[in-house]
Amino acid sequence: MAEQEARDTVTLTVDGVAVTVPKGSPVIEAAERAGVVVPRYCYHPGIPTAPAQCRMCLVEIEGQPKLQPSCVLQAQDGMSILTASETAEKARQAVIEFLLVNHPLDCPICDAAGQCMLQDYAYETRQLYSRVNEAKAVMGRDRVAEDILYFPDRCIICTRCVRFMRDVADDDALIVAHRGHKSYIDTFPGRELDNEFRGNIVDVCPVGALVHEDFVFKARAWDMDSAIGVCPGCSTGCNVTVDTKENQIVRLKPRHNAEVNSYWMCDYGRKHLVMANRGVRAEVPLVRTDERLQPTDWTSALDRVAARIEAVRGSGGVAVVSPDSSNENLFFLGELAAYLGISRIEFRVPTGRTAALPGVPTLQLRADRAANGVGAELLGGTRVDAPPSVSPGEVLIVLDDALEDAPAELGVEAGFFLYIGSRLPLAARGADAVLPIAWFAEMDGTFTNFEGRVQRFHQALQPPGIARPAWMVISRLLQRLGAGGPGVSDIESAFAAAAAGSAALAGLSWESLGHKGRIAPGMESVESAGANAG
Amino acid sequence: MSFPHRHELETTTILSQYHGDAEARTLAGWLERGGYERLRTAAMMEPDEITGVVKDSGLRGRGGAGFPTGLKWSFMPKDDGKPHYLCCNADESEPGAFKDREILRWTPHLLIEGCMIAARAIRAEHVYIYVRGEFFPYTRILNEAVTEAYDGGYLGDDVMGTGWTCDVTVHAGAGAYIAGEETGLMNSLMGDRAEPWMKPPFPAQAGVFGLPTTVNNVETLATVPGILEHGAEWYRQWGTEKSPGTKLWCCSGHLAKPGNYELALGVPLEDIIYDVCGGTPNGKTVRAVIPGGSSTAFLTADELDCATTYEGLQEVGSSLGTASPIVMDESTCLLRAMRRVAQFYAHESCGQCVQCREGTAWVARILERIEAGDGELRDIDTLYELCVQMTGRTICVLADSVVFPLRSSLDKFRDEYEAHIRTGSCTAR
Amino acid sequence: MSRRIHPAVAAAQPFQLAERDEIQGPLLGTPEGSERLEMVLSRYPEKRAALLPLLSFAQEKRGWVSPSDMEEVAAALDLTPAYVHSIATFYTMYNKHPVGRHLVQVCTCISCHLNRGDEVLDAFLREVGAREGEISADGDFTVIEAECLGACGFATVVQVNDEYFEDVTPEGVAAIVSELRSRE
Repeated sequence: MAEQEARDTVTLTVDGVAVTVPKGSPVIEAAERAGVVVPRYCYHPGIPTAPAQCRMCLVEIEGQPKLQPSCVLQAQDGMSILTASETAEKARQAVIEFLLVNHPLDCPICDAAGQCMLQDYAYETRQLYSRVNEAKAVMGRDRVAEDILYFPDRCIICTRCVRFMRDVADDDALIVAHRGHKSYIDTFPGRELDNEFRGNIVDVCPVGALVHEDFVFKARAWDMDSAIGVCPGCSTGCNVTVDTKENQIVRLKPRHNAEVNSYWMCDYGRKHLVMANRGVRAEVPLVRTDERLQPTDWTSALDRVAARIEAVRGSGGVAVVSPDSSNENLFFLGELAAYLGISRIEFRVPTGRTAALPGVPTLQLRADRAANGVGAELLGGTRVDAPPSVSPGEVLIVLDDALEDAPAELGVEAGFFLYIGSRLPLAARGADAVLPIAWFAEMDGTFTNFEGRVQRFHQALQPPGIARPAWMVISRLLQRLGAGGPGVSDIESAFAAAAAGSAALAGLSWESLGHKGRIAPGMESVESAGANAG
Repeated sequence: MSFPHRHELETTTILSQYHGDAEARTLAGWLERGGYERLRTAAMMEPDEITGVVKDSGLRGRGGAGFPTGLKWSFMPKDDGKPHYLCCNADESEPGAFKDREILRWTPHLLIEGCMIAARAIRAEHVYIYVRGEFFPYTRILNEAVTEAYDGGYLGDDVMGTGWTCDVTVHAGAGAYIAGEETGLMNSLMGDRAEPWMKPPFPAQAGVFGLPTTVNNVETLATVPGILEHGAEWYRQWGTEKSPGTKLWCCSGHLAKPGNYELALGVPLEDIIYDVCGGTPNGKTVRAVIPGGSSTAFLTADELDCATTYEGLQEVGSSLGTASPIVMDESTCLLRAMRRVAQFYAHESCGQCVQCREGTAWVARILERIEAGDGELRDIDTLYELCVQMTGRTICVLADSVVFPLRSSLDKFRDEYEAHIRTGSCTAR
Repeated sequence: MSRRIHPAVAAAQPFQLAERDEIQGPLLGTPEGSERLEMVLSRYPEKRAALLPLLSFAQEKRGWVSPSDMEEVAAALDLTPAYVHSIATFYTMYNKHPVGRHLVQVCTCISCHLNRGDEVLDAFLREVGAREGEISADGDFTVIEAECLGACGFATVVQVNDEYFEDVTPEGVAAIVSELRSRE
């Protein structure tokens, strides 16, 4: 067995460190296993082609005079690689110097500043002096898509964008035009990219040659905070980084997850979140007093709501939940519904067009435009199409549904209408109480994606006013009702409670989910997720 | 006309016998001159037998690199069961080289015969002759010859009744020097940009359409029929042990009798320049010579007594290349000459590797600036440093090709650079 | 083994520039165009290899390669128009705009440079009365600088459409231009 394994692997040294890698691995990957990140531009682990044309990853094979590109150099037994020999370092410096021959050095107005691989490597290689004494070529600015601008002056012709479109998106719409020092990236004249995954070319661009038009000049790299998250746009659940500035989301970037979205995400996901969270927010608890909703503090609000709940217990009713709610929110809502004797928990999922990324079968823009439709179902909800309705005298509890398709008088004749939500839509103004909660970007939590993968997301923004996560709010209601343990104050405990109380999450813990998520044991074949995967 | 002026100096005619003879380019004329008999022989030989003869002859590739042809053929797989291809490189675009044109327009059937014999040796059944796009008149002649050869049963199914099948397709380029690089040629043939690719994969493993391919120069293939007919020893009667045979020389620049001459390898370069080509016109002295086409290092007037073999020119720090000496007399501003050479490479770079894409243009810009009178002494140091970083760093050797003339001009004609920089004047007379 | 290649067309003229029709309509949708397409496709095992011959055919018929030609050729070969645009701009010979009746390409590369190639270029520009790359007022000429044309011993080398002129001197340019002008 060991011999078989030995035949399938090779052992080499990189900068003196021995590593064993699968046969056929490029040296650049072997180097990473040895803890060395060889600088590179054209090589990208998510793009299947490596043209070895940027020449940045040249390394020295000990004993051989000619440097070799490590992205295509295959690791061999006994090879000794020097990534930082004097020749290799000088070659790298020369690449930087060549790249800067015609580069405009417009960092002060370039969005990539602070997150630019040209800047980074210029510092790393200590190539801080240029001998160029010539006028620079000026090539202006081009629009390659309605929302993506291209600056040929900054372009280093690494062709990552071209190869992403051709080899991952299977849409050969971006090409290199002309040749030599007159090269630039272009579409067919008069046409623009309209692929649903075109935004990824901005992410792969090592420099600021490709920029999103709706991000241009919006935020500097060092002004932004980042949080690890999951895109709530559809049931795929692409892993993302949420970039914020001054408590606003300014950008989403995909985060690598080999099981879900590789290195990519769709444009719908990138954009819709930035436009979301508009509208009036619920910021303080409101309780109906003298016919009007009056603001009050949490303690009073929770006391009075608990009292009303005791009074209407057993009246029947319906809970209307948003499929964008986190698993923890849904679990505690389920507990509350159970206490009230409400068996109907409904959710509606908006749908839209689909789009696939041929190079990554698991990554699609799926029809279900909900972050946690699967979680909602697994935690006791039922998917419905009809608008919400409640019979007179019954209880209506709403968890964060915007009630857009609800009749205006929804809940007016309800025995008790409790609105737990982040926003304050018109339909909620008939509620007996409004408990303000954090929107997903303002809290920690988990979503379950189309295949049952439970993935964590983390707080990126401060909630407004005194809004709090729904699980925190509802657990304290339950505490007052004597129907649960003590109020939950941290996400680990919230998740633990949900995992203990539902088959969908059993066997998982907040910590065990890590940053790439896991499929709950026993949930490997999620039938209903299959139905929602369309 | 550009067929060689006959000269007594060890002139041979194994390639050039019919240059200038309009009859030889027709099938009938070619048959009269013994044509296609070598193909008949080859069509009934074993492939490795043919390779053996060419290997023994020591024939080296005539496209500039001088790689032993028989050895190159031996890299092809012997029994992989896949289609093999032969590509004939007729993309002659090296500044100074104009020999393949002669073969195309005077002895196209010789080339076809050579291609077919080579195809047999490498077990190919399809030959693509990639001709540079600008060669309209010569492509027409070649097309005529191929059509006649098909009609006569010398190409296609059942070649000359031997049961062997092999096709020839003439494919025209569209203006790119880099399509003369073997992997660039193959990419261009397949309908892509003529961008060279990293080796491995080598052409003999995966070339055109992912299949085993050999790329050979026109002159190389045109030499093959003669070797097959007369044997390896016959070919070795000329030249040296390491550089056997004869060569079609292309002499240009400041010469009294520029043009093509077929000579045995080994003739001293100065004899070619002064005796065969009559030296410079107007009695001026020779100032500098680029011996092998623009991708080779400059030689000064007193370095011309070298032997014109691969090893002989290597010994003096240059290279035989395509045997295309460009002669510059004392009236030449070498800075301007080098500037024009650099501009050529900047125009032809495919653009993949930054050292070449930016480097060739940067070199050209520096030389233009020095020529315009705005040079600085540190520019010379910069140029030397660029020579280092443009050598051995790229996918192909276009960047290295500009370094050969550049570095040698800096080494040997530094006074020219300094004169322009310091005083804005030139040392040319 | 079935023959892939029509025996009579293996040597099909890749392109001729003898008569430039300067067509206005589609390229491959004509009988001649579709015949040429079929012939060219038969010579290669993969469609994409037919790209350069077809772009050259467009130039042969139209005098330049237009965006509609690129789209037509792309459709015929299952390529994207963007890809064809990349190829058309990579290669020097494909004209991306109409040119004069006579496309005059003057080599100024090193061997011709040494033999007054720059002066030959200037002489042509003066004689035709246009700037480099422009069509002369009478529509007869476009003069451009070319890189090595492969006839270096006979400098200065000038290519006009598909014809080679060799040993051109600055003094001889006027005669060449007037002869070209007088051609039908």
